[in-house]
Amino acid sequence: MRDLFRFLYRIRSTLMFLGWLILSFILLYNGNEHHRAHAISSSNAVVGTIYGWRKDITDYANLKEVNKALADENADWRNRHISTYTPVEGLFARIQDTIHRQEYRVITAKVVNSTWHKPKNQLTLDKGTRAGVHGDMGVIGPDGIVGVVRDASTNFAAVISVLSPEIKTSVQIRRTGHFGLLFWDTNDPLTSSVIDIAKHARVAVGDTVETRGGDGIFPAGIPVGVVESVEDAPGSNYHDITVRLSEDMTRSGFVYVVDDLHRAERDTLQQANER
Amino acid sequence: MIGTILGHILRFLAMILLQVLVIDHLDVLNGLMVPYLYIFFLLMLPVEMPAWAQLAIGAVTGLVMDFFASTPGMHMSACVVMMYGRLYVLRLLSPREGYEFGSRPTVMRMGFPWYITYAGLLILLHHLWLFFVELHRFDAFFFTFLRAVLSAVFTFALCLLAQFLTSGQERDRR
Repeated sequence: MRDLFRFLYRIRSTLMFLGWLILSFILLYNGNEHHRAHAISSSNAVVGTIYGWRKDITDYANLKEVNKALADENADWRNRHISTYTPVEGLFARIQDTIHRQEYRVITAKVVNSTWHKPKNQLTLDKGTRAGVHGDMGVIGPDGIVGVVRDASTNFAAVISVLSPEIKTSVQIRRTGHFGLLFWDTNDPLTSSVIDIAKHARVAVGDTVETRGGDGIFPAGIPVGVVESVEDAPGSNYHDITVRLSEDMTRSGFVYVVDDLHRAERDTLQQANER
Repeated sequence: MIGTILGHILRFLAMILLQVLVIDHLDVLNGLMVPYLYIFFLLMLPVEMPAWAQLAIGAVTGLVMDFFASTPGMHMSACVVMMYGRLYVLRLLSPREGYEFGSRPTVMRMGFPWYITYAGLLILLHHLWLFFVELHRFDAFFFTFLRAVLSAVFTFALCLLAQFLTSGQERDRR
């Protein structure tokens, strides 16, 4: 018995090492499910504040581009506004529209930190639960999808970038309606892959890929990118599609967090069904 | 003694901030080289520090980095592995009559051959572990290996630079 204790004492640093290693592996493997491990993210108030300082300084460097992007987007919305259309016939008059109801609400947020050259990338936003941002909300930019909120604190949110194999977004080819999953395995910040589109689907280079919607994260029809190449590996039932992302992930200005107003209702219904 | 501890705490803060505010945003050859200079703080810890303290400080440093990178456990495991390796590397490299008390693992103190073995081995260990855990799979093995080695070379160069830049105060403290 004494020998055992003496032995344990002699290898104490190895035991301690194993203890720390096991702890870090628990964090590593439960990081996406366990709530407390989830909180180890850049939505932390101190971390968010430090990234905020940096953003305050670096903001000035690309004010011009950000302003231009915002102005372009404003112009786009203005083009769609009702006042730019004149009625074709005097008989029709626009009345209170009860056919459409609002399904999504967007919250503007500033990207205070982002990575794009790592195997798993992330962003930090300057809006949190106080502004209505919660986990599993979609994040879109002016040109396309950006990511999914991983975790939010009072004033900050950590977002998993589309440049990360951790998320698979349901997307479809706009022209044909065939759907698959957007999965980032290209290790290139400008492109991504679309998997699970069967070979019989006729996909052409140049086809637009958009979100499919219905998952409570992204609305349908948000642009994702343009098909750059379609390869058919022998023996596989699926196309190997590479997509050029429409949103430039190496640039970070303002983004919109999408709040699905009917999400709670749909989720409870689906859960009740599954039971 | 108090001054030394304060020096380590300041180095910890400076390295973490430098890492997350500047170095993480470097984009060298489209992410081929991603240096992690923050481990310079761990490399500079005193030689005679007890094993439990080295491991604990390594774990905490890694955890702080994990907060910034939103990667629970990744940097933590790499730092713990590195600090465990450090125990052996220091023992392996110890001079015949043991380390002088209070000696610091720097180029100026230990000489370049000693330092390149010490820092080189540990940085490589940390980077290989980190890059493979980050990727989480073993396909593209050689590419990841190459990335880790190139990044380790970059980190090593930055470590040398950081040492020469702070060597003024080093001489005063001795």
